[in-house]
Amino acid sequence: MALTELNFEFTPKEPKELNDEWGHVGIVSSGDLEILIEKGNAYKGKVSFHILTTVVGFDNVWETVLGRLVDKTGLSGVKVSINDNAATPAVVKRRLQQAIENGGGLQ
Amino acid sequence: MRMDWEELQEKSFYRSSARERAYGIVDPGTFREFLGPRDKMYSPHLVILGEAVEFDDGIVVGVGKIDKHPVFVISQEGNFVGGALGEINGAKMAYMYKIALKCYEAMEEKYGTVPEDRKPLVVVSYDSGGVRLHESNAGLVAHSECMEALWKLQNKVPNISITGSSLGAYGAQGFVCMSGDVVLANDYGRIGLTGPDVIQQEVGKDEFDASDRALIWRTMGARSKYILGDVDYLLKDTIKEFREKVKELADMSMSEISKHRHLGSLELVEDNLDLVKVAAELKIDDSMDLWKYYGNEDLDELPEMPQEEFLKVAKRRPRKGV
Repeated sequence: MALTELNFEFTPKEPKELNDEWGHVGIVSSGDLEILIEKGNAYKGKVSFHILTTVVGFDNVWETVLGRLVDKTGLSGVKVSINDNAATPAVVKRRLQQAIENGGGLQ
Repeated sequence: MRMDWEELQEKSFYRSSARERAYGIVDPGTFREFLGPRDKMYSPHLVILGEAVEFDDGIVVGVGKIDKHPVFVISQEGNFVGGALGEINGAKMAYMYKIALKCYEAMEEKYGTVPEDRKPLVVVSYDSGGVRLHESNAGLVAHSECMEALWKLQNKVPNISITGSSLGAYGAQGFVCMSGDVVLANDYGRIGLTGPDVIQQEVGKDEFDASDRALIWRTMGARSKYILGDVDYLLKDTIKEFREKVKELADMSMSEISKHRHLGSLELVEDNLDLVKVAAELKIDDSMDLWKYYGNEDLDELPEMPQEEFLKVAKRRPRKGV
């Protein structure tokens, strides 16, 4: 039973760039997750998510939660890597906001 | 990535993450992390087992500065797999000791003898239950590598152990922690070999009741360790307090720092055996009996009173050569 790997890509309507080169937040304890945001030229105008999670069968929930936040904030130009240990959608959303903040916020 | 050093200074050491502790324990803006999250070097074993992974594998290592001293920092994260040592984080830890020794040797070559105000030091913030057993022997190998490196560092590079996070230093990490030249703790520090639950499971509830929090703390907690001499300095729970104490120690000479040592010579073995002898003769069944033997009164008050007061009234076991 290996870890589940999920990949998503979103293109926000009003793309905004991250201020710093990268941001990082969170510890992979039970019910929590770690988020690493890195800027990259390959992701111009879009955002690419790469998730490693212990939970099976919540692909749609991930897509909805992440998609909504990207649309709302305009996060783009970055690759987002996530290590998850069964965090709830509310925690995922909050941590993503914190990760953006840790990366200096959006322009 | 942003880290506000000023804010960290007043933050509780106990509540800080491994990365916050590492950034805050050295001078502002000087910490450089090795193999940080962006290097994504995580445990391949946990992936196969279907367990969650972390990009830094639960340890933050790097180098910073305190005045002119290069400070090699190892900071464990207890919230990830119980801070236990596996193949990747174990190798990161062991290599930090090796790099510290290399730094010392390079300075020796350059200056003849290492100048007092520039001598390198190692600071380790423990937060670990021991070895990650699901990675087979990798954690034990890392542990033995650490012990070997510590032996080589002895009397050259000061090695400061800190226990002040949720898990303390247990199992194999209890060894490594006590092998440090100086042991610092806040009130949340704990040091032990076998954890309460394992003792209860192996020897029975009559021997050790793992649900009795007060019993755990007065047996393995920092205040008891302070009275018995295993913890050298009991500090207030802010990162600043720990940084200032490390700074103070950094300015001491190596021979002065070595006086704090708990292990590593025949004298110290004899000193430790004396304690065992006292315990056997008194037929103690609680660590408080030992507190009393060393001249403490108000036994019920000692664990409860504010730290400042405790430091004033607590009487400690006299140690040979200290």
